[in-house]
Amino acid sequence: MQLVSACTKTLLDSRGKAAAMEKFSISILLIISLLPFLCSSFSQESPTDRRILVLLDDFSLKSSHSIFFSSLKSRGFDLDFKLADDPKLALQRYGQYLYDGLVLFSPSVERFGVALDLAAVLDFVDSGHDLIVAADASASDLIKSIATECGVDFDEDPSALVIDHKTFAVSEIEGDHTLIAADDFIQSDVILGKTKIEAPVLFKGIAHSINGANGLALKVLSASPSAYSANPSSKLSSPPSLTGSTISLVSVMQARNNARIMITGSLDMFSNRCFRSGVQNAESAIKYDKSGNEQFVAELTKWIFHERGHLKAVNVRHHKLGETDEPAMYRIKDDLEFYVEIYEWSGKSWEPYVANDAQVQFYMMSPYVLKTLSTDQKGLYHTTFKVPDVYGVFQFKVEYERLGYTSLSLSKQIPVRPFRHNEYERFITTAFPYYGASFATMAGFFIFSFVYLYNK
Amino acid sequence: MARSTSKDAQALFNSLRSAYAATPTSLKIIDLYVGFAVFTALIQVVYMAIVGSFPFNSFLSGVLSCVGTAVLAVCLRIQVNKENKEFKDLPPERAFADFVLCNLVLHLVIMNFLG
Repeated sequence: MQLVSACTKTLLDSRGKAAAMEKFSISILLIISLLPFLCSSFSQESPTDRRILVLLDDFSLKSSHSIFFSSLKSRGFDLDFKLADDPKLALQRYGQYLYDGLVLFSPSVERFGVALDLAAVLDFVDSGHDLIVAADASASDLIKSIATECGVDFDEDPSALVIDHKTFAVSEIEGDHTLIAADDFIQSDVILGKTKIEAPVLFKGIAHSINGANGLALKVLSASPSAYSANPSSKLSSPPSLTGSTISLVSVMQARNNARIMITGSLDMFSNRCFRSGVQNAESAIKYDKSGNEQFVAELTKWIFHERGHLKAVNVRHHKLGETDEPAMYRIKDDLEFYVEIYEWSGKSWEPYVANDAQVQFYMMSPYVLKTLSTDQKGLYHTTFKVPDVYGVFQFKVEYERLGYTSLSLSKQIPVRPFRHNEYERFITTAFPYYGASFATMAGFFIFSFVYLYNK
Repeated sequence: MARSTSKDAQALFNSLRSAYAATPTSLKIIDLYVGFAVFTALIQVVYMAIVGSFPFNSFLSGVLSCVGTAVLAVCLRIQVNKENKEFKDLPPERAFADFVLCNLVLHLVIMNFLG
């Protein structure tokens, strides 16, 4: 008996160990299989450290633009530098994207490496990822067509640069006024940050304009009214096609899936040289020790990579005034309360979003009620209103679209029923004459029958 | 010509009055009752025209009670009138009983529809 028990004990121990080994390896396998899901793109739930693919024409850009790249790294991005025509280039593997953002600092590339082309870049943006495209005087058709797909048209003349004879940057070396000092920024605290950019931004490159049919592209930095796009080394034979403030130097586009794209015609704008140099506007003659490039680029890339201006609205709740749980149906002329929480991603965490112009609609083919939501400054928005005198299937709709913010579009359906037959008021005041007339007729009939019968 | 037509109208009116004075009292009572019912109906219609037809069912029931009882009274008058050859064999008590029963049903319906 004891031997048997001892044997079974040892057997069980060894089997236990084997089972433990099995369990261990299974758990290892599970953890490994979950790893791909941990490095997903900017999803609302896990916007953590993100990988960015930087495509360059040649690796000297790594050193000439080192301040820009190191500032990105210090904000928590993993940069992956590759040559634009590297044959081993791949944006996705086995259907999963390897990167969350793409920076194209390769203006002269004619064809990307094997796995990447115009359609692949556009699919990347369509799936919600961000893109920065910088062109310069050597911009190829591929880069220009990427920009056109995003709603921005570069100047077709391949030798044209932006020239400005009034607001150029005073410098000893460049005398053809192609290095311009631009300060016509878009008025938006979300896109460019709260701190005003004092010094102008140095720009040297090609011009683009926003396609008039595109409603989603914005000019972040426009050229001054005296700028034009032409070849600096030849005489103008005809008036230039792009002039004045229609020339955009830096544009952004926020797609409807909230992917953000930045397009600019100057790769030099990101360079260490422009970051460090002082700038003096030829027109106003104020000398600044440091150009506004570093601040401008830093703030704008913060917006591009969703560290600012990315909203989410969660937790839509509603209930009848005085109750706490959500009913499945309302009755006409009920009083109800509506709550929604709106947060903004700050780069590290979801902060409460504070605004006084969010509105909710009670909508059935047209808004019957439109109320501005009041906030408690901690991200909770609420309002109270009376259900209209119409029955049907309504929706609570929150549609919020502001310059520089992602668009919010929520709707929650709720039916509204009319009064039940016993929910009307018992005696309707306007019907009293009818009640009176009926009773008067009955009394009249009663009296008449007496009079008629007993009339001799 | 105008004077003659007005004189004719007056003569017509006087002859109507004298003929009417000759009708039996019971018929005159019925006529009075019909007049009261129609007058009440007219008041309700004027009120609806002013205020609007909001509880339409109440309006209909009020007007129907007046009009219905007037119609029943007219039927009673026809059946009870001795000069009417058609109803010579109908006892007037039977006519009155019909009148009372129909009015009862009418007012039952009215109370239900009044809301």
